[in-house]
Amino acid sequence: MLRFIIRRVIVIVPMLFIIVSLTWALVLLAPGNFYSGEKKLAPAVEKNLREKYGLDKPWYVQYGKVLKNIARFDFGNSLKYEGQSVNQILMRGLPVSVALGITAYLIALLAGVTMGTLAALKPNSLLDYASMALAMLGISIPNFVLGPLLVLLFSLTLFWFPPALWSGFPSKSLVLPALTLSAIYIAYIARLTRSGMLEVMRSDYIRTARAKGLSERQVVTRHALRGGLLPVVSFSGPALAFLITGTVVVERIFALPGLGNYFINACFNRDEPLIIGIVAFIAVSVLVFNLLVDISYAFIDPRIRY
Amino acid sequence: MSYSASRLRTLSITLIGCLIVAGCAASAKNSVFFGKSDPPRENILRYVSGSEPETIDPQIPNLQNEARICLALYEGLAEYDPKTSEAIPALAERWEVNKDSSEFVFYLRHDGRFSNGDPITARDFVYTIRRGLTPATGSRTASFAYPIKYAQAFNEGDVFVFDPATNAFLLEKDFAEGNSQTSAPVPLSSLPIKSIADEYPASAEGKVPAADTAFHQLMHSPARLVLPKSEKDRKKILDASPKLNAAIAGKQFVPVKASDVGVEAIDDYTLRISLSQPAPYFIGMMPHQFFRVLHQKTIEKFGAAWTDAANIVTSGPFKLESWQHYDRIVVTRDPMYWDARNVKLDKIIFYLLAENTTMMSLYKAGELDATYNHTVPSAWLDVIGPLKDFMDAPEAAIDYYNFNTAKGPTADVRVRKALNMSLDKKALADWRHVKPLTAMTPDGIFPGYPQPKGDPFDSEKAKRLLADAGYHDASGKFDPKKLEATEIELITNPDGSNIPYAEFVQAQWKQNLGVTIQIRIMESKTLFKALAALDYKGVSRTGYGADYMDPYTFLSIFYTPTGSNSTGWWDPKYVALLDEANRTIDHQRRYQLLAQAEQLLLDAQPVIPLVVGTTRLMKKPYLKGFYPNPTTLNPWKFVYIERDQAKWDYGMPVMSEPPAVAGG
Repeated sequence: MLRFIIRRVIVIVPMLFIIVSLTWALVLLAPGNFYSGEKKLAPAVEKNLREKYGLDKPWYVQYGKVLKNIARFDFGNSLKYEGQSVNQILMRGLPVSVALGITAYLIALLAGVTMGTLAALKPNSLLDYASMALAMLGISIPNFVLGPLLVLLFSLTLFWFPPALWSGFPSKSLVLPALTLSAIYIAYIARLTRSGMLEVMRSDYIRTARAKGLSERQVVTRHALRGGLLPVVSFSGPALAFLITGTVVVERIFALPGLGNYFINACFNRDEPLIIGIVAFIAVSVLVFNLLVDISYAFIDPRIRY
Repeated sequence: MSYSASRLRTLSITLIGCLIVAGCAASAKNSVFFGKSDPPRENILRYVSGSEPETIDPQIPNLQNEARICLALYEGLAEYDPKTSEAIPALAERWEVNKDSSEFVFYLRHDGRFSNGDPITARDFVYTIRRGLTPATGSRTASFAYPIKYAQAFNEGDVFVFDPATNAFLLEKDFAEGNSQTSAPVPLSSLPIKSIADEYPASAEGKVPAADTAFHQLMHSPARLVLPKSEKDRKKILDASPKLNAAIAGKQFVPVKASDVGVEAIDDYTLRISLSQPAPYFIGMMPHQFFRVLHQKTIEKFGAAWTDAANIVTSGPFKLESWQHYDRIVVTRDPMYWDARNVKLDKIIFYLLAENTTMMSLYKAGELDATYNHTVPSAWLDVIGPLKDFMDAPEAAIDYYNFNTAKGPTADVRVRKALNMSLDKKALADWRHVKPLTAMTPDGIFPGYPQPKGDPFDSEKAKRLLADAGYHDASGKFDPKKLEATEIELITNPDGSNIPYAEFVQAQWKQNLGVTIQIRIMESKTLFKALAALDYKGVSRTGYGADYMDPYTFLSIFYTPTGSNSTGWWDPKYVALLDEANRTIDHQRRYQLLAQAEQLLLDAQPVIPLVVGTTRLMKKPYLKGFYPNPTTLNPWKFVYIERDQAKWDYGMPVMSEPPAVAGG
């Protein structure tokens, strides 16, 4: 177990190196600069800027600087945002994304597992069809459509929740974005739970449990859910990573000051240190969450050993 | 799929349909205004400023999302008129302009104060301008100050050439090559001063012009020769001119210093700015954020961190309260501000977001009091257009297409003229509810300017021109296939309405000429790079917003062959006309010369003028002192919340009234 964990942690280093190098190369190849705009700058102005930010140096010097920064977990200063370090920006955006991600995660787990279990208990019933149809909707409606629809209903017609902006955690302003963000995950989790539960409910140990004379509720909560949720667990680990880091569209629609919003602007702005910082951060989170999921398997499923 | 599942799907689709209808019905109920229109309880303006500002250091960034905030925090010699965007007195109570607009004297108010209570003096302005020009500041807008003597040389890090033998600097005029500049009269600011009173028009009150000084004498000596500091760049120039090369032998190179720049504090409250060329439009630039006064001690003490809320010292009607990144910037009324009692808002909250639909939702829900320009999506115009809080006024901004005049079929002026002529711009403008752009300057923005008109819509003439240019079949008639064979294309970025515009233009060419010109869509920064390198075949899209209120802001795009000029077209005759216009003292005569230059440009047709920009913003009826002006920059001190419904704006506010100059 320990050897497995150490091996996985060590793998993170070369992975990160490759991801960062690729990102850096892509930014380098992208035309334009953080300062380029519709109105062209005077040549001297541009020269002064390139000198100020070290863009006049050859590529290997710039690349070396990036690697050195990564090694020290200090991504340097943003090019676009004068006097702000990437680490500062990450630390500022992260809590918002985490609050949003975890809220959405909890909604997704709660709603998804409930819907999936209910559907699995009475397969081919109206309840089953209804929850699966809802799940299908969740998967097929992209969140940039769902978000405005929810705003239209809940903020502009019913005036229950604000249509956008951040007002801390917990607050009413979190409801619509979290709901929008979780829709697709509710759907996946519901479907995974349903299929997992259906399979488990047919297995021998459930029959044994029933034969012991346990009530149906005990059979489901004590025995079936543990096994039936295994696919959900393996999905939910990376899902949490994606929920926290993949909030780009939702944060933009609802104007939330999270990492996703920073990331998309960093790309438009060609803000190299910020892009690399956020990509590296997301990469590490996904790798770590995957590792955690693998470890948790061992606890949930007694059949798995490392 | 079973029967019940398909029924459920139908049901859910119906449900979504109901949602949309419900939403529309809700907006239809308030037919006069868009959404809630109850004034906020407190005197707090809630506004959007666009995406997160790069910095609130006014001299570094160059976009409007920063300008909107900097206008609240800093003040300059002049401020934008809230209705016309022209310069009105601010920290300078008045100013004098010499006879050929090459020198300006500003008289500062004595009660100007920074947010920490320090008085604002002429020395602070000298510091501010020098600091903006310092290469290490990395200002994107430093070129705004280039008309000032030696400003460009200092910003470029150039050198003077000093001759130890004669103890004098080499002069520019001795090495001027035979270009149009040589015949031009020397500006007053580069001639020795005979009598200072002679240089300024007699003032009605008989005031004596500002005193002469040693620095002033120095500025008035003939312009010194300036060479690049880097040896490589210098060699290029020296190689081209043997005379120059010979002259610099044994001379010393002296770097141009901040103290060489033509700004001078004559006393605490008198500032003199000497220019290298006459520039009547210079006053119009003074409200620009580059020229807004900064606090020297704060910047020197904290470096780049001077804009942190804990450190910042500002000069405007509002001061910084907090900056929650990517969320909001809050500014409060500054009691130190000289005109604080006329500032009506207690606070302004700038939400840092740039998503139009989000803004419109917030506005509708009554969480925003106004939006900025172009925030109403085109597809919403049918619904929003008739509402009384929709503000649509012409902007000092233009949309146009460039031709690549350097290569390809568009190197031929006949092709350029034909492509322009075969475009029904009126139809385009009607379709988008905008005004057509007929010349390089927007129509009706500069009163009294005798704007020339470009060629009218005439597709038959266009076909003849194209046939003349060699795109004809055996019978001599225009053959669209021949033009298509040149692989001419139209490139544009996908922002705003650019794609629908391009498709409309494409359809027009197809309909009127029978030519199919392909559209290529490029991400903005990629497009800008292609434009700068003239790396496109045929036609490309550009827009330009006025930097100051003078036709010259648009005409100067083509003053140089590089920069924002992405056509490859450049004509010394055009430059000579612009120079002559700017030397002309008589206002109307100057406008005529500018119009002549514009006509010359239109004749050469390096561009297809398309449409004049429009403001397209929302403003709650209770918000007063806020106007859809040509620059869509609002000086916040004039803005207030009107609680008396009888005084609300039911429609566009009156824009022609004389401006309300607070405290004046």
